[in-house]
Amino acid sequence: MADVSRRENQSQMSFRIRAAWPLMVLALVGSSPGCSPATAKAGVSQDFHKVRSVGDIEEYRLQTNGLTILLARDASAPVVSFNITYRVGSRNEVTGTTGAAHLLEHLMFKGSNQHNKPDGTSLDQYLERVGAGYNASTSPDRTNYYATLGHDHLDGYIAIEADRMRHLWLREEDRSAEMAVVRNEFERGKNDPGTLLWEEVMAATYQASPYHHPTIGWRSDIEQIPIEKIRAFYDTYYWPNNATVIVVGDFETEDVLYTIGKHYGAYPRSPQPIPKIYTEEPEQSGARRVTVKRPGQLGSLMIVHKVPDARNDDHAALTVLDGILGAGKSARLYRALVDTGLALNVWSDTFGLHDSSVHILGAELAPGATHEQVERILLAEVEKIKRDGVTAAEVDRVKQQTLAKEAYRRDGTAGVAAVLSEYTAVGDWTLYRRLPSQIAKVTSADVQRMAKNWLDEDRGTTGWYVPKPNKEIGS
Amino acid sequence: MTTIFCASAGMEGFWRKRRGGSYRIPIPAQVFMRYETSKQKASSFLRNTIADPAAKVFVLIALSFASPAQAVIADQVERMSVAGVDLIVYPTAVKQVVTIRGALPAGDAFAGQGNLAVPTLTGMMLDHGTMKRDKYAIAELLEDVGASVTFNVDGQTLGIQAKSLKKDLPVVISLIAEQLRAPAFSPVEFELVRKQFIGAMKGQVENVGYRTSEAFSRAVFPVGHPNRSPSLEELIAAAQSVTMAEVKAFHRQHYGPLHMTLVVVGDVDAIQVKREVARGFKGWQGGVDYLVATDAPAPLSAGEEAVRLAEKTSVSILLGQPTGLRYRDTDALALRVGTAILGSGFTGRLMATIRDKEGMTYGINARMSDDTFNDGSWTISATFAPQMLEDGVESARRELLRWWSAGVTQKELDDRKQNLIGSFQVGLATTRGIADTLLQTVLRGYDIGWLDRYPEAVAALTREQVNAAIREHLDPHKMILVKAGTLPEKALMPAE
Repeated sequence: MADVSRRENQSQMSFRIRAAWPLMVLALVGSSPGCSPATAKAGVSQDFHKVRSVGDIEEYRLQTNGLTILLARDASAPVVSFNITYRVGSRNEVTGTTGAAHLLEHLMFKGSNQHNKPDGTSLDQYLERVGAGYNASTSPDRTNYYATLGHDHLDGYIAIEADRMRHLWLREEDRSAEMAVVRNEFERGKNDPGTLLWEEVMAATYQASPYHHPTIGWRSDIEQIPIEKIRAFYDTYYWPNNATVIVVGDFETEDVLYTIGKHYGAYPRSPQPIPKIYTEEPEQSGARRVTVKRPGQLGSLMIVHKVPDARNDDHAALTVLDGILGAGKSARLYRALVDTGLALNVWSDTFGLHDSSVHILGAELAPGATHEQVERILLAEVEKIKRDGVTAAEVDRVKQQTLAKEAYRRDGTAGVAAVLSEYTAVGDWTLYRRLPSQIAKVTSADVQRMAKNWLDEDRGTTGWYVPKPNKEIGS
Repeated sequence: MTTIFCASAGMEGFWRKRRGGSYRIPIPAQVFMRYETSKQKASSFLRNTIADPAAKVFVLIALSFASPAQAVIADQVERMSVAGVDLIVYPTAVKQVVTIRGALPAGDAFAGQGNLAVPTLTGMMLDHGTMKRDKYAIAELLEDVGASVTFNVDGQTLGIQAKSLKKDLPVVISLIAEQLRAPAFSPVEFELVRKQFIGAMKGQVENVGYRTSEAFSRAVFPVGHPNRSPSLEELIAAAQSVTMAEVKAFHRQHYGPLHMTLVVVGDVDAIQVKREVARGFKGWQGGVDYLVATDAPAPLSAGEEAVRLAEKTSVSILLGQPTGLRYRDTDALALRVGTAILGSGFTGRLMATIRDKEGMTYGINARMSDDTFNDGSWTISATFAPQMLEDGVESARRELLRWWSAGVTQKELDDRKQNLIGSFQVGLATTRGIADTLLQTVLRGYDIGWLDRYPEAVAALTREQVNAAIREHLDPHKMILVKAGTLPEKALMPAE
């Protein structure tokens, strides 16, 4: 793999782990292929600071540039999941640049100085050759790039990730071609009733907050944003001090830190502070409603309420409330709407965000059911909880489900990396540990308080997807 | 081939806009996702996953390509007949977690000349109560401990999926047996299930991907062929007239251990699993074998099918043909690797050219499918904006023809082989990955040892074999094109 050997020559960086390992140990430790550990580590200059350990996860900081690193070792299989999360998403966009974070995510695969398709060294070529599972995604709060691959190939992958952090090509011809790709992604989304309704409801829920904008952007912005604005977006946010590297799987800590330092250590902090979002969503003072009409057979509805940011302790009790209302066939909404033949699906979920977050109640209507009927029953179930509370058995059930989910998440490495990325995005990766322990303490009274405090009609937005006849099938 | 997903309503991640993956929707409504299982079956090992407790040892062997076959996986697996069930147990290094996959021949194709909705409705009734407990008791049994048991029905199989912690495995195995053997068939629940089925089918009317797959299947497989999909109209009409007696009769006739497979992977003890399966399935009898087509697909002939739907912003297409190959046929591996070079991943020719270079589509790929039990099909699938449909199809045909005419290069083949070994390694990480792969391996008619021989079989493929298989089994000039969506006038014209 020519690309790997070339990268070794370019970065004779070294490192020191302040808290954990004496240099003598490092010099003796073997490394994965692709590194030349003993010699390369000898000239240590980078400085990793161990910030803390929470459970089996360790947090480090590359002190020269502020890059955060989260490590979770799991040697049960010879694979590693690597995830770099940039703390920038559609939340950081304004009118005219909506969709910029997502379009940039696509352009990150178009080549960088050292790793590109013409040279046969692109990320796609490297990762597909080694059989990695990989992708990238954009949310309101973050953009992440990730792969799960054999641990022997990690060094080569980190080299590519590091190169595109600051040396992305960002050419107009690439923007032009990729814009059409993203536009087709947008068009596919518009074919989907759920996506359509969700975007309309969120646009009505948030007026000032950038969560008003769909993450994929408005069509005209996707089509017309100039490459200069994407470049400015990249140069504002893609810096080590705005990124968190997450590594989960089979690795030696000293080796993986060495490799991270070797490839990311070359970069300084951002020349300007990362811009803060200071816009706050004003208080909502009355119920809002939106309707979407498109050809189709089935209606649906969703009711969204704003709840505190994801770091707020209320999210533990909200999670239990969601389990009681919407998880499985024992759930209250299932019994009230699916079992009665009025809905095909129901759900209750809380989406924790960096800022003001949302709680969502929803139902997909069965043929013959009306929106009015389903909405009334759905809200009546919420009112029952406000009035009568929930049982201890219901709370215990959700707690047991949470424990099981914790075990399931450890079946593989990608799941842990993905969850750490999401909690990084909302501003506190330790929620990975904190939330389950908080859920374990939730009481029936806490759950009732959530319904009373947050599921208030005057602070909700209700959306109806109303199908228009297209082609009648059956009756 | 109706696939039921008794999915939980998790909405996690639906904010995401993925570069290459699916865009999760706020409604967790894809309860019925047609062809999802078939696609997975048909995907080559390039995308399949294999997990293994002796993972590191296995990967080292797999990576050493030229070494003689060693039964690393086969040695770890215990396979036995227990109460007539083909039981496969694979203990792994994961802590607490157990994944179960299973199948028996009771899919939609077994409707035969009878009511088309019966196999799926029978599968749907399994978690609506048994003779011992009602659906709430079943739900609470599982949900109180965070476990899950779901069933799905596709073309040939009733699929079983379960997940639990180790401590709850006896309960889960016992419940699976109870649900399979003694569903309550309550008339009240039957009416509810019928309504859900019809609703789900109506929900697919506007799904361009579903409609394309349905039309393609009906264009290439003759009436009575196990791979042929019923139409939505037929399914809805069938569900409206179906009786409980038909469902009960179907269960009696088709459900049994005779060709049932159960795979248990994770933190398990084979002796304990054997004991629980023996206890749960003791005395159960019956069952049928999988169906083999008696009618071959019609001779190849180019054609077009259009499914017109209003106000669709993206058109879905399928371009392809029947292959005349089952998964385990001699040429199938060569054709699968060649197909991956054309249409798998971001470096496959279709994505590299039509998406990356020309910017015409969000997604385009090529695959072989529906070939587990019978000769399957080969397709290119893609989405295009209506105004780009014509150019997009032209680009797909151009790349197809170039691939078919000139074949793959040695470098492409070498890279794809490496990709395959790497995918093997990555797939070693989860119990779900190995359970899926073990099940598919035996359904395809292989012994478990095939997984150990597989790297060598791929390594041994030559460019000549791959290119010969492409030319032998495909003909781009005689493929069927199916489009679903809001079609521009020009696209509605029949092919010349």
